[in-house]
Amino acid sequence: MNKFLLNINGKEVTGFPGQTILEVAKENDIFIPTLCYDERTRIYGSCGLCMCEVEGNPKLCKACATEIAPGMVVNTQTERVIESRKTNLELLLSNHTGDCRPPCVIACPGHTDCQGYVGLIANGEFDKALELIKDKIPLPAALGRVCPHPCEEKCRRALIDEPISIQQLKRFAADQDLAGEMFIPECEEDTGKSVAIIGGGPMGLSAAYFLRQMGHDVTIYESMPNCGGMLRYGIPEYRLPKAVLDEEIATIEAMGVEIITNCKVGQDIPFETIRADYDAVLLGIGAWVSTGVGCKGEDADGVIGGIDFLRKVVTNEEIKLGDRVAIVGGGNTAMDACRTAVRMGAKEVYNIYRRTKDEMPADMIEIEEAEEEGVIFKNLTNPLEIVKDENGHVKEVVLQIMELGEPDESGRRRPVPVEGKTETIALDTMILAIGQAVDASIFTGDKTRKGAIAYDKETFMTSIPGVFAGGDCGNDKISIAIEAIADARKAADVIDAYLFGEDIKYRERFVVTRDDLTAEDFEDRERLCRPELPQLSAEERKGNFSEVIPCAYTEEQAMAEASRCLECGCHDYFECKLIDFANQYDVHPERFAGEKSTIDFEDDHPFIVRDPNKCILCGSAYPYVLPELFRKEPPWSRKFLLRLKRPLQHAQCAQ
Amino acid sequence: MKIVVGQGSCGIATGAKKTAAEFEKQLKANNLDTELTITGCVGTCYLEPIVDVYEDNGDLTRYVKVQPDKVEKIVEEHIKGGKPVEEYAITEEDKGFVANQQRVVLRNCGVINPENIDEYLAVDGYKALEKVLTSMKPEQVIEEMKASGLRGRGGAGFPTWFKWNAAKASPGNEKYMVCNADEGDPGAFMDRSVLEGDPHSVLEGMAIAGYAMGAHQGVIYCRAEYPLAIKRLEIAMAQAREKGYLGKNLFGSGFDFDIYIKAGAGAFVCGEETALIASLEGERGMPRLKPPFPAAKGFWQKPTDINNVETLANVPWIIYNGGAAFSKFGTEKSPGTKVFALAGKIKKGGLVEVPMGMTINEIIYGIGGGIRNDKQFKAVQMGGPSGGCIPASLGETQVTYEDITKTGAIVGSGGMIVMDEDTCMVDMARYFLNFTRDESCGKCNYCRIGTKRLLEILTRITEGEGRDGDIELLQELATKVMQGSLCGLGQTAPNPVLSTIRHFRNEYEDHIYNHKCTAHSCKALIEFSINDKCKGCTLCARNCPVGAITGSVKQMHVIDKEKCIKCGKCLDNCKFGAIDKI
Repeated sequence: MNKFLLNINGKEVTGFPGQTILEVAKENDIFIPTLCYDERTRIYGSCGLCMCEVEGNPKLCKACATEIAPGMVVNTQTERVIESRKTNLELLLSNHTGDCRPPCVIACPGHTDCQGYVGLIANGEFDKALELIKDKIPLPAALGRVCPHPCEEKCRRALIDEPISIQQLKRFAADQDLAGEMFIPECEEDTGKSVAIIGGGPMGLSAAYFLRQMGHDVTIYESMPNCGGMLRYGIPEYRLPKAVLDEEIATIEAMGVEIITNCKVGQDIPFETIRADYDAVLLGIGAWVSTGVGCKGEDADGVIGGIDFLRKVVTNEEIKLGDRVAIVGGGNTAMDACRTAVRMGAKEVYNIYRRTKDEMPADMIEIEEAEEEGVIFKNLTNPLEIVKDENGHVKEVVLQIMELGEPDESGRRRPVPVEGKTETIALDTMILAIGQAVDASIFTGDKTRKGAIAYDKETFMTSIPGVFAGGDCGNDKISIAIEAIADARKAADVIDAYLFGEDIKYRERFVVTRDDLTAEDFEDRERLCRPELPQLSAEERKGNFSEVIPCAYTEEQAMAEASRCLECGCHDYFECKLIDFANQYDVHPERFAGEKSTIDFEDDHPFIVRDPNKCILCGSAYPYVLPELFRKEPPWSRKFLLRLKRPLQHAQCAQ
Repeated sequence: MKIVVGQGSCGIATGAKKTAAEFEKQLKANNLDTELTITGCVGTCYLEPIVDVYEDNGDLTRYVKVQPDKVEKIVEEHIKGGKPVEEYAITEEDKGFVANQQRVVLRNCGVINPENIDEYLAVDGYKALEKVLTSMKPEQVIEEMKASGLRGRGGAGFPTWFKWNAAKASPGNEKYMVCNADEGDPGAFMDRSVLEGDPHSVLEGMAIAGYAMGAHQGVIYCRAEYPLAIKRLEIAMAQAREKGYLGKNLFGSGFDFDIYIKAGAGAFVCGEETALIASLEGERGMPRLKPPFPAAKGFWQKPTDINNVETLANVPWIIYNGGAAFSKFGTEKSPGTKVFALAGKIKKGGLVEVPMGMTINEIIYGIGGGIRNDKQFKAVQMGGPSGGCIPASLGETQVTYEDITKTGAIVGSGGMIVMDEDTCMVDMARYFLNFTRDESCGKCNYCRIGTKRLLEILTRITEGEGRDGDIELLQELATKVMQGSLCGLGQTAPNPVLSTIRHFRNEYEDHIYNHKCTAHSCKALIEFSINDKCKGCTLCARNCPVGAITGSVKQMHVIDKEKCIKCGKCLDNCKFGAIDKI
């Protein structure tokens, strides 16, 4: 048979008469997206994603159904075609009910695959679980102890009993790893490119970990005697033992990352030298300046910043606390300072916070444990004046009594002073754990209004080409360790591309989520509680820095706990063409947000799950099942379900 | 003398059967043996029940709105007394409704008894088939059709001869001639009327088409909602078989042709030819990809020609009178006549057949008598849910395929829904989108979800919750649905949206930005209140279904806007014009 000559996207190709555009394109490695085409079945043509333009035809043509003709000129990438595909996908997604990724993964700034590793732990595959965690988190033993676990807050299991203890399961997997020969990820072949990272905190260490895996030569410059940043100097030993951190940092060094400690850039080595010596520079210098409360007498001796206090304790610097210590602030740093003060021997430790405990940003467990250890909470108070003694040392603090007023923009009720009502407490030391700021004096590029390093949110590049930034030190975004680790991962991808002369931008991947589930949807589930973890009593722990929770879950506990997971995330996410195309075509289905068709269905098949609320009606499964429709609704209703009588072993579900 | 009671569905709906029974009773009581018979719809549906009394010399007296109480007088004075009852007879003005038409398709409707083949034969029925089978070759038949210029009357307007020729050219001995009687547009009833009033003309047309393309089997795909049409077709088929006009060796020519009826369950999409074929084959009525076209691989993968009822009813006339006679009517590119179903806010609703090229105003005012209650003519929706609206300002547009298409509407199957000042154009688009959303077969994403989203956006606009950008979003989505759908349903479903935006964009803007429905039709955007013309008659308060109106006798009443459900009963009942709708 004579072949036709035709042109697809400017490329001269040939095909046999009777072939479709899609078939010819496929043979010639020209990709045309489709969700319903399956060469083993009769062409059905429902999805309409394979639309293309044929010269001389004013309409768009379905490539799967349009037969080629001699001299045909086809274009599969015109603006009209792309727009049509995009809206098509948007419509499909506007009617798609499900969670591409589980709520925990979405809530985690680093998008750690919580559902994945929890599932592996449930199956007893602890090594694989650890490897999966380490795909996103280089310091799982540390994070397993200190992460405020935003994942658990979104865990849907809370609609039944309590969230999965994702954090403790992470610690379990990491501690198993620590106990044996530790897992060290493989690194790509050396690329010959070099990256300097200034600051060895969670951001710097993580970026080093990811960039090293990509084959780059990575050096960390750390001003302190040891790496770890706030994890080491801001979090007390009783929450995160330094030995655990050391081991995890050692694995990063073992990957070939060079760490230079006690080297303060700008002092021991000029920033410009580093810039000149490396192909790229990443700044992760953190936010190490304690901010004040701005009240009278703040300059008194004996007034110290929260992170300064914690750092001094770790570095064994001399601190004269005295008997009475007040800590101002309601965050985790304030709680750390309170509990450290208790352990340092202070007899009366006050916490001063202008709202109630319910509004405190600190984890509830930290507040409870601090209270158990004897911390006195002066809620609804605010320092009005710090009174000095004759030597200029803090003597007492006058507190303004507050009450809660109308909610502010954050939704929390605003504290307002109760006119004329004050209270005075005698003090030896006052610790201000109000907030942190960045000292970015080594950096000469653009800065934020608050003096932090300014960088592009999508490329992590600062105003100085080749100089990137992430973590607490940039864009006035002072946050938790996992956020810094997330920055590191994103920045590493951008830097990797930059090193090869490419510009890429980090974009959050589009996923479908659902928010319509309530406790009622899970009424039939068995109630199961978390296994209990033994922890030191207040009496046992308040006089020392021993880890409060000495041991992770046992294997049995971990497997039981992991088995509670509801597995909210779609199991086909990694094979799903729909979500792949959705991201390729940069969809915005919210434009067409409307009613979703929801069908109650019985998940009663032994080995096929067919969720009609995710089904895109591509028709691919149809030839493999008996084409017999059974109607749950009266015959005149358009809703019908396919009864699957034979396994779909050959059908390729597009979704 | 002969009495004919119009018994199309429209006549029966208005009580023609009772009227006929009363005639029978009265005739019996008077010992009269005057022939009492039936006929189909003559087109003036607004005058039903219609009774025609033919004198022996052929003179006709037409009585209109003949409810049983009028029968006695007619029998007494006219049948017995020989003197027509003038007061019941059709007015000169109403006579114009039919007289101003050019009836080809409807030539026998309302004239002959559709259940009696002899009456069809008496008006030269089956003469065209005889002519074809005894003196013409298939090629000549197709040539004659080509000369007539007849285009498909189902909606697409594709030249009929071309389809026949394509089916004829397809190789194979087994071919099918399918009559599409799945008339689905809301407000359209041309095909039903033809099937009920003149079924033989369709059967004859099918046989001629079958001969031209080499098909020996005809199938009529008729919606089951047309039971009377199916019944009369069955009677007609049985009579035709008996007389040898269907079956083996017709007119001794050796040509065999027979027909069977397939009743469809009434899905709009089954009017689309590939979906119709799927339904005929017993599958779910969903369109198939083209190519292959039905002319090559249709019913059971055999060459198939599908024509609509009205198209086929034209065929015997064309063959008998010649294609040239047909093409004298109408315009050069749109020859012939076309039947329209006039409905909506029109004085005289019904079926009209006019030469193509007549203007919209001529049809609406000249034949339809203008707008009901002498309100302002606003627009006419042509082509049903697949068509578009034509504003009154374009009333001088000639009804031809080309000119109507230019306005953004289509001739379609011939539905003309007339709208007056009280019709909200956004709501009108919403109504049609609701229809197409329901009727989408669900195969193409664009049609399945796109029409639903279009409907949601339109609904929120009519509910006063339209957003800035909604008009543009509607236009964008509508265009993409048209581009991205497989069959005619999806490709045309957004037409009502696009054409109303094109001609009445200001109404959309009023809804969205000013929260106003200028037609005072969208409930969310109107308010009822009582003005100082109120005499305190309490009629409104007594009729209010939710007790939202208070006031004592002879005192001005007040509407509680919180309670008011905006049903409009107060307005309908007020005798003093004291209710304002704003």
